[in-house]
Amino acid sequence: MMRRALVLLLLCCALPVFARTAPLEPLSAADVPALVKPPARGERIIALWALDCAYCEPNLAALVKLQRAHPHDIRLVLVATDGPATRGAVAARLEHMHMTDYPARLYAEPNPERIDFLIDPNWGGETPRTLVIRADGTRVAVSGELTPAQLRKIEPRRSER
Amino acid sequence: MKRIVCLVLLLCCAPLPLAAFAQGMHMAGMAHEPELGASAAFDSHGELWLVTVRDGHVLLQHSDDLGKKFSAPVEVNRSAEKIYDEGENRPKIAFGPQGQIYVTWSHPLAGPWTGYVRFARSLDGGKHFSTPITVNHDLAKITHRFDALAVDGHGRVVVAWVDKRDEVRAEATGKPYLGAAIYYSWSDDGGKTFAPDRKLMEHSCECCRIALAREPNGDVAAFFRGVFGDNIRDHAFAVLRTDGKPVHPQRATFENWNIAACPHQGPGLAIGSNGVLHGVWYEASHGPAIWYGQLDPGHPPTHVLKIGGPGAGHADVAVHGRDVWVAWNQVSAKGYRLMLRVSRDGGDTFDAPRAIAEADVAVYSPQLLVHDSHAFAAWNTASGFRLVAIDSATKDTP
Repeated sequence: MMRRALVLLLLCCALPVFARTAPLEPLSAADVPALVKPPARGERIIALWALDCAYCEPNLAALVKLQRAHPHDIRLVLVATDGPATRGAVAARLEHMHMTDYPARLYAEPNPERIDFLIDPNWGGETPRTLVIRADGTRVAVSGELTPAQLRKIEPRRSER
Repeated sequence: MKRIVCLVLLLCCAPLPLAAFAQGMHMAGMAHEPELGASAAFDSHGELWLVTVRDGHVLLQHSDDLGKKFSAPVEVNRSAEKIYDEGENRPKIAFGPQGQIYVTWSHPLAGPWTGYVRFARSLDGGKHFSTPITVNHDLAKITHRFDALAVDGHGRVVVAWVDKRDEVRAEATGKPYLGAAIYYSWSDDGGKTFAPDRKLMEHSCECCRIALAREPNGDVAAFFRGVFGDNIRDHAFAVLRTDGKPVHPQRATFENWNIAACPHQGPGLAIGSNGVLHGVWYEASHGPAIWYGQLDPGHPPTHVLKIGGPGAGHADVAVHGRDVWVAWNQVSAKGYRLMLRVSRDGGDTFDAPRAIAEADVAVYSPQLLVHDSHAFAAWNTASGFRLVAIDSATKDTP
């Protein structure tokens, strides 16, 4: 009886540990080159979002769906442009959106402009922003909630699969 | 066995209070990261006043030597509360005709995108403040934030904000609603009470600041990002009527930037004594761009000039006589430069852009101030607040 209770207890306790498989890591200016480096294969999708942005949640959901359709060819990274003071709120929002399985980053500077510029100089900071970096070094960047046509455009190319 | 169960329980429960504590720290607005949202203003005597945010308090300081030294901070809100002070949110300060000091800020509620607009006043030169009141009469736990504050020519305190009550109402009936709305209120009794909320325009941007400026007749006017047609994020201009007459918002920029996104960049507005409406705004229909133009509400602006491209953001504009100043942040891989362009002919032409300050730490949006015909740029940075006198750097400009 006691042993069964112990197993149950261990299981219950383990659940929160597995709830976030990918920790929320800070993203500093020095980290940007590694983030935007072309992947060895397929494509990396950097989903830039912000707490203030109501369009970001459905956009993130659409990108998660796309990633799940191409699990071997898309690496999805969620990057919140809010500053380090918002860490608790960003983590809570990711939990709320059930998006704790993906690598998640949070800007390490209180003002996003510099890291925005380093990630993509042709981006003025509007969110959502989707940056696709392919293995061949090409990029596709889209501001705003992705339309179905835009989602099709950022799907991994056949030759890269 | 009991001992093992206890040990497992202890190990498993230990992280919970820590996580809850960390979350609580943020939710209480107690994070000790640099908080950059700040506003500065000169009073009629040339004293510089600064409001910043720390540990859930709006702090007020003043300087009689152009920002070299500041007084000890006074807490505007004695009881700490969460305060929006990042992105396009910052506390605001304005003065009444008898030296009243008015302060507003936006207070986040528990849910995402929610908030109330808060107000407090001092009648003794900033020594003490009234208990904060909530300006928005609608107390639904939705967006009432991105406050903007001004005092009109009759001494009325005018406050505008971004409001989602119409969006919530539409969604409840299954109807789509683009963006939020702009609401405003005013006080005829020096901020003791505020008039019922009044709608200025439906379908505004949800996350961009509102620019307010006083017209020559004393009315307060607003320039803000709207949502036109199918998610076109151009700007609108409107006078905030306090006389019961209908408001008449009009589209004032026409780049047709069509995007379902939060630009996080609102416009700037300065109104000349001749009534010319000097505007600056951001859009990215063909790549990121900051524009200057003289607004002609209902029609495209005139004297349109591209002020900056990639890396340029968060511009402000000021006017005095024939002098017009535009300042903005220019970011590069190395850090930030505070940029300036000056017109000596009322905004018809501008000199070349020049850097008037630099920072290798995070900075907040610049704010242009004019006192006694001299212009200054207020620039809050992670290494401290700076007041940059810009006239001396531009006197030689033809």
